[in-house]
Amino acid sequence: MNEETKKQINARYERELNKGEFFWPDSIFKDAVVSLGIFILLILLATFVGVAGEPKADPSDTSYLPRPEWYFLFLFKFLALYGQIPVVGKIEWLATVLVPSIAIGLLLFIPFVDKKQDRFYAKRALPLGIMFTMVVDIVILTLISDVPTVAADDATLFVKLSASLQPYAGLVIPGVVMALLFFLPRVYKDISWKSMTWLTGIGSFLMIGLTIAILTFAPKLESTETELASTLAEQIFAGQDLYSLHCVECHGDDGKVTVIEGVEGLEGKAISPINSRDVLYTVNDASMAEIIAYGRPDSGMNPFGRMYNPEGLSKGEIDYIVTFMRYMWDDRFEIPAEALKPLFPPLFEGEVPSYDVHIAPIVKRYCVSCHREGKESNNYWMDSYDNIINMGDNAPNIVAGDPNSYLLQVIQGHEIKDAKGEVIIGVMPPKSTLKPNVIDVFIRWIMAGMPRTAMDAAALYVQPTPAVTPTP
Amino acid sequence: MPESLSRRDFMKVSVYFVGGIVGATVGLPAVGYLIDPALGGVAKEAWIPLGKLADMPEVGKPYPFSFTRVQVNGWERTATSHGGFVIRKSDAPDDLVILNSRCTHLACTVNWKEEERVFLCPCHDASFDAEGAVLDGPPPRPLDRYAEFRVTEDGILEIFYKEG
Amino acid sequence: MWKNIFDWLNERLGLNDLQKSLLERPEPKGNWWNTLGSASLFLFILQGLTGIFLTVYYTPSPDHAYDSVNYIMNDVAFGWLIRGIHHWGATLMVIVVFVHMLRVFVTASYKYPRELTWLIGVGLLIATLGMGFTGYLLPWNQRAFWATTVGTQIAGTVPFVGEFILKALRGGPDLSALTLQRFFAGHIWMLPAVLVGLIGVHLFLIIRHGESHWPKKED
Repeated sequence: MNEETKKQINARYERELNKGEFFWPDSIFKDAVVSLGIFILLILLATFVGVAGEPKADPSDTSYLPRPEWYFLFLFKFLALYGQIPVVGKIEWLATVLVPSIAIGLLLFIPFVDKKQDRFYAKRALPLGIMFTMVVDIVILTLISDVPTVAADDATLFVKLSASLQPYAGLVIPGVVMALLFFLPRVYKDISWKSMTWLTGIGSFLMIGLTIAILTFAPKLESTETELASTLAEQIFAGQDLYSLHCVECHGDDGKVTVIEGVEGLEGKAISPINSRDVLYTVNDASMAEIIAYGRPDSGMNPFGRMYNPEGLSKGEIDYIVTFMRYMWDDRFEIPAEALKPLFPPLFEGEVPSYDVHIAPIVKRYCVSCHREGKESNNYWMDSYDNIINMGDNAPNIVAGDPNSYLLQVIQGHEIKDAKGEVIIGVMPPKSTLKPNVIDVFIRWIMAGMPRTAMDAAALYVQPTPAVTPTP
Repeated sequence: MPESLSRRDFMKVSVYFVGGIVGATVGLPAVGYLIDPALGGVAKEAWIPLGKLADMPEVGKPYPFSFTRVQVNGWERTATSHGGFVIRKSDAPDDLVILNSRCTHLACTVNWKEEERVFLCPCHDASFDAEGAVLDGPPPRPLDRYAEFRVTEDGILEIFYKEG
Repeated sequence: MWKNIFDWLNERLGLNDLQKSLLERPEPKGNWWNTLGSASLFLFILQGLTGIFLTVYYTPSPDHAYDSVNYIMNDVAFGWLIRGIHHWGATLMVIVVFVHMLRVFVTASYKYPRELTWLIGVGLLIATLGMGFTGYLLPWNQRAFWATTVGTQIAGTVPFVGEFILKALRGGPDLSALTLQRFFAGHIWMLPAVLVGLIGVHLFLIIRHGESHWPKKED
């Protein structure tokens, strides 16, 4: 650039300055308005959307699907699509290193690549066209980042289509458009900026159209939301639920068990009661979590962590169990008041309990640990309303209105014997007895015909007949 | 140009106003955020059982006890051990002195020396008599006492403990 | 009394001169798109403040990072607000910085005499993305852990030196306490220092050359 052009540019700027305004307060006022708008948006997002909870990092959980922060999603998707290209796609570093380096290099050195002094948009169709195509590409790659790049062989036509269109939308069309934008002016010297704009527009139109098609045909993703407990009380509840499911079978609902009974393979094994000071005072949180995760083979403790079993407990879940044990049984800890919520709301005179409100939490706490898939429990799974009523080798275990239903008998301490006098169902739960108010819930529920929802139960509610009031 | 002047003034005031709003919306919660631990609620209190009073029959003999309390500080739990001695002053069931075994000088744990009938602090050779009064050495005051105690219906001696 | 204090300070700091040269400088007719640079600065300051507040409770260790973030979110007064601003501020900052870059590109403001301002601006964009990348790991949750595992893995695909870069980023072959610690150091010391330095030069250049005018047909 010669001194003459520089002088022209500076003189041109002087003319604009004379027509202009002052930084303070004119420009700063605009800045402040925009910043305030952004700030309000920020506060609204922080207050009403918040930060989504996530489970604790678990290096052993290799099944976790990694997702970067949203502004890197386009790179992530670019790499996935690039991998689809035959032959070149296998040379990974071209996409991970070379292409991003070229992009950053171009961006960085654009003042030295684009040396013309034109600033008006009509004179800059090439750089604007390329940048526009890039930005559209970044946006659509971000949008389709969740859609699987490869469809399974037995997928529907639409799903296959949604996968196979992606390289065209994300790589081929933008690539072709940018190449045309670059080479056309070199071949046809007098190409107008309008033609260039049309080219850019058509390219983006195609990319956006394909993206809409990809998103419409995309297979619906199952959201696998894990339950997260944030407050201490929630963590204790979560730990209690997990404990009920995985631990009660051997350790009992109160952790008191010293000899395991009725568990396949561990019958008669002597164990330390895990609610005792001996255990709680001598084993710290980290060791306790490790015992749960890795087990103690010589003392009968099975490993529950995910490193041995993809469906095992995550690190966070194990931490919840440890927290539950500490606050429930360790006398050095004070249980927070909000964690002392009763298992189910107490019943009034004449009130009928429902499955949803009363039976489900009770069964979850005391029964499901054994009565579920994969456990020897006479094939009686108590994991859902229908299964509780219909399943089991000795079904029906529950008969509406029958006070001698098997379930009611065994929880009240009576074994069920067959015609030959052999015990077919023992007393339940095997190692402890339910509290009278829990048994009362079961009796009321079965006698009233096993209502499922709180609404059904409320309809069965019989007002205790009030004393006759004289009519005035 | 009075009109354009007032426009400029309006802009200036608006900028100050925006600055004030942003500053207050971040600043005030930030102050609460920073001083939050200092506002921590009431100190935790509890009755701590020390054992059956019947197991401490001798008058004038210090019976050692210890207990552990867990403090939750943010995301971390710390167990602190506390210890002390129960001494009967007479046969009356509530005529007790319950001493904290922490030396009042630099918080070392004192031991009972039966032959000399004193509590000896191993750190600076301070000694206290059987009721905790300083006999010798640098401690500024007698051994601390657990002043509030009670005996439950089952005959268990409990002391009142307040955190902090 | 206030006047005396001001005069005393003015004599020594040259406040009046500063005001003339920094604030009361002439500018071309403004455009609302030109506010994005200062909006980026505003967000940077906000991120800096909330970030400093977060370090009051945050612990960069695999054992405690998750719990300390949980503590900030649930137990500390307004902790949810401070972290919420920091979390969403990061997102908005990336958007605002990117759109600011686009604006400068569209108006061709990177041309003479503002080439260096652009170079530094690109550096600022990269540093901002670096802040996003390093900050993402700090809560030490599943998302953070695995995203960083994959992110650093990508750096490992560089030919010849990939493995070395990977180890340097992670502080070893695997994601560990060392990774968390160095990402923390990068996030709160190194990258902010780079950002502050670059922002300083960026602003100096803007004051020196003035804001570019909106291009017209004759440009």
